[in-house]
Amino acid sequence: MEHHLMWNWPMIVYLFLAGLGAGALAVSGIVVLWDPAGEFRHRAALVARLGAFIGPLPVIIGTILLIYELGRPFRALNLFTSNFWFMFFNPSPMNWGSWFILFFCVFATVYALTFLPWKALLRGERGERLEARAERMRSPMAVICVPLAIAMAIYTAILLAAIPARPLWHTPVLWLLFTVSAISTGLSAIILVQRFMFRKPGAVRGAIRREDPAFRVSEYYLVSMKVLLIIAELVVIGLFIMFAHMTINSANFAVQVLLPGGELATTFWLGVILVGLLMPAFIEGFYLLRTAVLGHEFEWPYVINVSAPIAILFGGLMLRYVIVVGGQITGPIGI
Amino acid sequence: MSDKSDSAVSRRKFLKTVGQGTAAVATAGIAGGAMHAAANKPAADSGKKNTVQYGMLIDLRRCIGCQACTVACKAEADVPMGVARSWVEYVEKGRYPNAGRSFLPRLCNHCSEPHCVRVCPTGATYERPQDGLIVIDQGVCIGCLYCAHACPYGVRFLNPVTRFADKCDMCIHRIYKGLVPSCVNTCQGRARIFGDVNDPNSEIHKLIAKNPVSVTRETYGTQPNVYYIGLDTTDENTKKPGQYVRVTTNKANSPKRT
Ligand code: SF4
Ligand code: SF4
Ligand code: SF4
Repeated sequence: MEHHLMWNWPMIVYLFLAGLGAGALAVSGIVVLWDPAGEFRHRAALVARLGAFIGPLPVIIGTILLIYELGRPFRALNLFTSNFWFMFFNPSPMNWGSWFILFFCVFATVYALTFLPWKALLRGERGERLEARAERMRSPMAVICVPLAIAMAIYTAILLAAIPARPLWHTPVLWLLFTVSAISTGLSAIILVQRFMFRKPGAVRGAIRREDPAFRVSEYYLVSMKVLLIIAELVVIGLFIMFAHMTINSANFAVQVLLPGGELATTFWLGVILVGLLMPAFIEGFYLLRTAVLGHEFEWPYVINVSAPIAILFGGLMLRYVIVVGGQITGPIGI
Repeated sequence: MSDKSDSAVSRRKFLKTVGQGTAAVATAGIAGGAMHAAANKPAADSGKKNTVQYGMLIDLRRCIGCQACTVACKAEADVPMGVARSWVEYVEKGRYPNAGRSFLPRLCNHCSEPHCVRVCPTGATYERPQDGLIVIDQGVCIGCLYCAHACPYGVRFLNPVTRFADKCDMCIHRIYKGLVPSCVNTCQGRARIFGDVNDPNSEIHKLIAKNPVSVTRETYGTQPNVYYIGLDTTDENTKKPGQYVRVTTNKANSPKRT
C-alpha cells in the first residue's frame, strides 16, 4: 500500500546518526573516566580518541540534514528564539532536543579538541602548553559529555515515544531500545574506524601498533562489550514486542506490522534481527569464545573483521527505519 | 440562525463574561463532570476552560456524504492539491439486504486538551484564549510536523506550497466578520452547525444539551469540540469476525483512517 510518510529518510538517518554520535561520545567519555591517568594512555587511548573525534560529526551532519529537509533553514532558529527559559515550561521533547543538540555539538567539539595532538600540530612551547592544558581538560569535559551523550541518545527515543497518537512509538521500552542501539552503533563505528586505520601494522604514526599486545587486549574488550550489547538489544526488542502485544488497544494492532505477515516484517526480521544483530553476534562470539575458551590469539580474517561492525551499523539504521515508518503507517484504531 | 444574529450573540456574550471576571473562570475547571448538562446555567458551568469556546456539531442524520463541505473548504482556504483540511469518510457495512452506509465528516476538533499544542517546539501552534480555537502562527512554524504526528485525528498536514503545518482554522476570517465557516455555509442538509458551545443561548449549545452526542477517539483525552449526532463507531480494525466493513476515507493523502 502506498503510504504518505511525513517523516522520511532525513528523519530516519538523523535519528540513527544522533544515536551513533551520542554512543561514540559516551563510550569515549566512559573510557576516559574509567582510567583518567596512567594506564589509560596505553591501553584505551585510541578508543577514547576515536570516540571523541567521531562523536560530534554524525550529530552535526544529521542536524544539517534535518534543517535542510525543512526547506527554510533559517526558520529552524525559531526553536531557540522562543527563548531559553521557554524550554522549562514548554514540554515539547523537540524543543528540549534542539537545546541538547546545541550543547552536544559545542561540548563534544571542545572535548574532541582536547584529543588533538597539539604538540605535533604546533611546534615549540605553545604546542606543549596547549597539549598540557588539553590533557587537564579531558576528564572534566568527559564528565559533562557522558551525561549529555546519554541524554541525547534517550531524547531520540522520547521524541517519538511522547506521542500517544502513534501507538508503536508510545511505549516505555523505546528509550531503552534506542539507547542500547546508540551505544552499540557508536562502539561499532569506533571499532570500524580502528580497523580501517590498522589494516597495515603501524599505519598510524605515534599510536599503538597492531602488533602491540595492548591493542589486541583492547580490541578483545571492545568486541566482547559489543556482543553483550547485542544480546541486551535482543532482549529489549523482545520486551518491546511483548509490551505492545500484551496491550489491548492500538499498540497491539500497530505491532502487527513487525510480526510475520506484517508490512515491515521482512525488513525487521532480516535487516534488524538477522543481519544487524544475530549475524555479528555469532561471528564475533565465535572468535571471542575461541580466545576465551581455547586460548587462541584474538585474530581473525580482515573481511569478517570489518563486516561485523558494518552489519551492526546497518542494523541500527534499519531499526530506526522500521520504527519511524512503522509508527506512521499504523495509528489509533477505531473512529 | 442567520449569520448576523449569531455573531451579535457571541459579541454580547463576550462582553458579559468579561464582566463576570475570574470567578466564572475559576468554577469552570471544577464543574468538569456536568458538561452541557443544563442549557440555562451560566456558560462557565460547561466545564470548558475558555469562556467562549467555538465548536461544531455535525448531525449525521442529515449528512448525505456529498463532499460539498470538502470542496467549499478547499476553495475557501485555497488548500493545494493532494491535501485537505476537511473530508468525509464513507463506511459501508453489512450484507444485502441488511446493509448500510454512513458518513463521517472530519475536521480539526479544536480540542480543549490539544496534544498538537503540547508537542509544538516553537509555540507556533497555540490555543486562542478568547475563543478556544487552535491555530498555527505561520510566522513561527518551522514545518517539523511534530504536531501532525501528535494529533490523534490526522487532520494536520504539510502545506506543500508554504511548507508549514496546516489544518482547519474554523474559518476565523469568516466568523469574525459575522459569517459562518465555509463548510457550514455550503452544507445543503444543514448537518453542520457552528457556534459557541458555552453560550446557553446558542443553537449549538441547545442541540448538544438536548441530543445524545459523541466525539471521536474520546479515549485520547483531547476533549474535542466537534460533536456528532448519530456517530457510527464501526471501523475496519475493530469489526467482529465475519462482519463486512469497508471504509473509504476520501482523504487526499491517506487511504487509512489512522
Ligand atoms: S483535532 Fe488534532 S489538530 Fe485539532 S486541536 Fe485536536 S489535536 Fe490539535
Ligand atoms: S510543524 Fe509548526 S506548528 Fe507543527 S509542531 Fe512543528 S513548529 Fe509547531
Ligand atoms: S471551518 Fe473552514 S477551514 Fe475548517 S473545515 Fe470548515 S471550511 Fe474548512
